[in-house]
Amino acid sequence: MNQVSVLAQNIPVESHAEASLLEVRDFSLRRKKATVLDRITLSLSPGETLGLIGESGAGKSTLAMALIGLLRAPEVEIEGSLRFRGTELTALKEADFRRLRGNKIGLIFQDATAALNPCFTVGKQIAEPLRRHLGLSASACRARAVELMQSVGIPEPRLRLDAYPHELSGGMQQRIMIAIALACNPELLLADEPTSALDVTIQAQIMELILDRVRALNSSAIFVLHDLALGAQVCDRIAVMYAGQIVEEGPSERVLNAPLHPYTQGLKSCVVELGMPTLTPIPGQIPPLDAMPNGCRFAPRCPKAQAICGEQRPETQTRDGRQVACWFID
Amino acid sequence: MWQATFTKLGQTLLVLLLVSVASFSFLKLAPGDPVTIMLGSDYSKASYDQLTQELGLDQPVIVQYGHWLANFVRGDWGTSYITNQNIFELAVFQALPVTLTLAAFSLLIALVIGIPTGVMAALYRNSWVDVLATTLAIGGNAFPSFYLGIILIWVFGVGLGWFPTLGFVAPWDDFWQGMWHLALPAITLGAWYVGLIARITRSSLLEVMGQPYILAAKARGEPGWRVVWVHGMRNVLMPLITVIGLQLGGMLRGAVMTEVVFSLPGLGMMITSAVLNREYIVIQAGIMLTGVLFVVLNLMVDQTYQFLDPRLRRRK
Repeated sequence: MNQVSVLAQNIPVESHAEASLLEVRDFSLRRKKATVLDRITLSLSPGETLGLIGESGAGKSTLAMALIGLLRAPEVEIEGSLRFRGTELTALKEADFRRLRGNKIGLIFQDATAALNPCFTVGKQIAEPLRRHLGLSASACRARAVELMQSVGIPEPRLRLDAYPHELSGGMQQRIMIAIALACNPELLLADEPTSALDVTIQAQIMELILDRVRALNSSAIFVLHDLALGAQVCDRIAVMYAGQIVEEGPSERVLNAPLHPYTQGLKSCVVELGMPTLTPIPGQIPPLDAMPNGCRFAPRCPKAQAICGEQRPETQTRDGRQVACWFID
Repeated sequence: MWQATFTKLGQTLLVLLLVSVASFSFLKLAPGDPVTIMLGSDYSKASYDQLTQELGLDQPVIVQYGHWLANFVRGDWGTSYITNQNIFELAVFQALPVTLTLAAFSLLIALVIGIPTGVMAALYRNSWVDVLATTLAIGGNAFPSFYLGIILIWVFGVGLGWFPTLGFVAPWDDFWQGMWHLALPAITLGAWYVGLIARITRSSLLEVMGQPYILAAKARGEPGWRVVWVHGMRNVLMPLITVIGLQLGGMLRGAVMTEVVFSLPGLGMMITSAVLNREYIVIQAGIMLTGVLFVVLNLMVDQTYQFLDPRLRRRK
């Protein structure tokens, strides 16, 4: 028994690596001495959806950028491990990482209008990953692009193939973005606030579409969102981030219905619900990166903070089926 | 699209009309009487009056202008008193091709050197590459082209004897001889443009590389060179073309200097010697031709711009 646990601690266990698609372990990212991501630990099984929830500046998008390898050493300082299908991403050569991008890992940007190149037709931009990663011929690319456009609900895809991005509406542009991200049937889809730039009426459609496609392809997905309720609704699990740390992580229902961390509780009371008398905002804001408190990063804003919170960082503990980092869990 | 083109053409014609009025009245205001110049110092009153009448100089100015413009449009630009050459032929068939060849070759050199320099400076921003490129760019811009031309002649023409110091051989007659003769003048004229192109390329590329669509291209697994040269540079082309177009006037001005320094029989040389000889009708032709050239080139740049930027094209 003792032997087994020693083994489990020191050697990356193969079976475990196979079981989860993505293993993030004690991953830290520093930029100009400021710790943007602080010892992030996460895992994602095949077919699972995870929501990264938090205010802007929490490091959600940074984590997504690191996962797809657009933020790497030496541009930023990195510590810890990112394992994708058992491959250590942090040690991967740039040329090898490039083979994953847009292929095994897809990324949907927040603002499709800005993320589509204005000088190339949408057909060309959908065809790019097909050509690069799957080596399809020009005509096969076009045929597949039409299929993809159809799958993301673009009417008359054959006509739209040669349209430039500015000729399409915002919702259509985001559909194109989704088609590009899913072109090579990625095993992991990263969606960075995929609906924030869209009209409210289209947001639900687009979210439904992404979930639908992810399920159809049996991919895993990480949604970067700032809305806790939306996250709980669309994702199997939720990781609440605050100032570069994960403060609470667990199954969506439990995190939403019975949040343990004071920050999650604060986020929940910010959610507008019918019949609720008042909103309770969280006082203050995320401290600047170069002035992070030594102890719990949320302590200055926390209603439950005691002396220890300002001095020592709380260890992550397992409680009620989830991971929480707080000294005072009820 | 068609309406825009017609509007543009109308504007162009208006500009040309203004150029013609300016060049016509400029010569009316210039000192010296063309009749006395043509007759020499010894002439009778009768021959003076006869020539004045022949040249139409006794008629009202507006009529003279009308005649002159009509003749100009017809291609009847008169005959040089000094060489007795048909000025239309001299300007359009002899001088213009030389100037265009020089300008095109200089632009080509400037693009081939300026774009990669600008790209390198942008990619390795604030490194020694950037400092070197920026220094060269500003140096090229600041260095007077006639002086650079003289230095090049002195070093590579006279000193090392690698290149001819003057003269023009048409590249369409003898390509290598032509290139050989054009090398120094084109470098002289292009040096000024290199700096401009490198600087615009650098600043535009820096801006473009910060755009989300560049990140998106990387996220699709595009290799670095394609991200820069295809996704990035495609968007840099538009500001680049605009600046090249805006500086075409400078190019033509530079061509005059360069042609004089290297004795190339182009438009600049033609105008310069006409000024020295007080051959007013040749100057007039030169001004008009330069004006037309400038306006036509600008029109072409405008059209290119529409062609390059899909957002300016009309929706289907």
